[in-house]
Amino acid sequence: MKLSELQTAFQAAVLTGDAEDAAILDLVAPSLNADRATLMGVYVNAYRLRLAEFLDEDYPALRVLLGDDEFEALVEAYIDANPSRLRNARWYSTRLPDFMQESENWGANALAIGLALFERALTDAYDAADAPAQGLETLAEFSPQDWPRLGFTFHPSLRLLEVAAGTLDAYTAADAGEEGETPPPLEDDGAFEQQPSDATGSEARESVASQPTPPEPVAVWRSELDPAYRLLDADEFLALNEAMAGHSFGDICQLVAFQNEGQPATERLAQFLVTWFSEGLVIAVAETK
Amino acid sequence: MESLPRLGYGLGLRPVYYDEILSTRPAVDWFEIISENYMIPGGRPLAMLERFRADYPIVMHGVSMSLASTDPLDLDYLKALKALADRVEPAWVSDHLAWTGVHGRNLHDLLPIPYTREALDHVVARIGRVQDILKRRLVVENASTYVAFSQSEMPEWEFIAQMAERADCLLLLDVNNVFVSGFNHGFDINAFVDAVPAGRVAQFHMAGHTDAQTHRIDTHDQPICEEVWTLYERARRRFGDVPAMIERDDNFPPFAELLAELQRMRDIDASIVAKASRSAA
Repeated sequence: MKLSELQTAFQAAVLTGDAEDAAILDLVAPSLNADRATLMGVYVNAYRLRLAEFLDEDYPALRVLLGDDEFEALVEAYIDANPSRLRNARWYSTRLPDFMQESENWGANALAIGLALFERALTDAYDAADAPAQGLETLAEFSPQDWPRLGFTFHPSLRLLEVAAGTLDAYTAADAGEEGETPPPLEDDGAFEQQPSDATGSEARESVASQPTPPEPVAVWRSELDPAYRLLDADEFLALNEAMAGHSFGDICQLVAFQNEGQPATERLAQFLVTWFSEGLVIAVAETK
Repeated sequence: MESLPRLGYGLGLRPVYYDEILSTRPAVDWFEIISENYMIPGGRPLAMLERFRADYPIVMHGVSMSLASTDPLDLDYLKALKALADRVEPAWVSDHLAWTGVHGRNLHDLLPIPYTREALDHVVARIGRVQDILKRRLVVENASTYVAFSQSEMPEWEFIAQMAERADCLLLLDVNNVFVSGFNHGFDINAFVDAVPAGRVAQFHMAGHTDAQTHRIDTHDQPICEEVWTLYERARRRFGDVPAMIERDDNFPPFAELLAELQRMRDIDASIVAKASRSAA
């Protein structure tokens, strides 16, 4: 048998999880101590254990939210549907949130999907490309009348997400639990209609019953060497989104003013800018064309 | 044949020990990294690596080259590996005599090959291409294996010896892997060590493994066992002062335990040298 045929047969046995696959066992030499299926089983078991470990490392809070049994069912389903085609295992877990969104079993669990998206963003921020952050003094290089035309380039790690209400609370609770503290009780599996964690009283419950809770806008990035995140107000989310798309300070002011029913937005935008610079999000400032 | 630097006694660089290494500057002569863990855009791992390489020689050890696969060589991977090597300037670059997948799949494991003339021709040609791309001599490690194939035409050590000569590559002798594979397949581990061409061995690996009674599994999560220490001594007598290091990848002990294992290596080697001096006198 040619080497390519042997490798094809071997891989098929591992991918199907069949350590007793006759096509490969017929090629395996007898061993003194263990039967051939036991030895082939080392490879079969290692394959699934290793891929599960990659997912476990990248989604610890999701495991807490779903519980061990459901998380492991998700992992099994993901491994079955996603044999790795990656040379570097670092990115094996990347598609998990997309897989959940496309799945019948998890597609309706907005909180779990939100948490998966959030944890993926944290993992991506951890090893995103480096770029030196600019200080606020960079703005002083431009005269105030040029400010409306200024555009900003952001740190490669910065991601904006809109995740289900309660996602950050779920993350914080899971993280605290991992550190050995008692996590606060989580809401149940949390589709969009889930009550927000800070909503109490009948008024909030009535409003939830009548309309879906809006998603949480979140920014995730890397500050120095560690991932960081922050919940955003709706207008900051809008402004940052526009700024990341390359729109000028002046254009963003107009857009935010329009969203805020015509209220002047320059001062609010200036506050955002100071925050973005102080958090190390801005890596370049230039006049837009 | 050019020789690689005699670096002494090293350890695998693992994030769990970063802080301790930085704060205590332990008496470790060099560190080996898993190349793929640093083949990323940026962030903490690469920043920490820059700090370590300022103080210690670094060696790059990969797990994804898939030298024995019948898929085409992954040129993007090799390009990224070369870019990392250009940045890190390692003393050398190593990977395994193994394959990791075919048909575009990756099983993220070091899979066994039949020791046939066809496989030998294939691997020799691939190592040659890799060495051309990386513009450096590759160091190739014997992997632990759990199954052997009936169609093998020669013992593993003969395959490795021929591979090294024909590809003009260097060898990383993993002493624990020789023991694990020897136990699993019932071959003579001393014959293995005695047959590997002495001038080709550039590095030793030492590690612990799991005893599953009927077979052994190369888990790197246990202390080095006595049989592997005995084999190490034999290898040391045969190959001389090649750089040696310990791999620990799970069930991490206090760093001092790894330093103690490193010291045991030094003690064994000193005793061999002392005995040799006495015999010569």
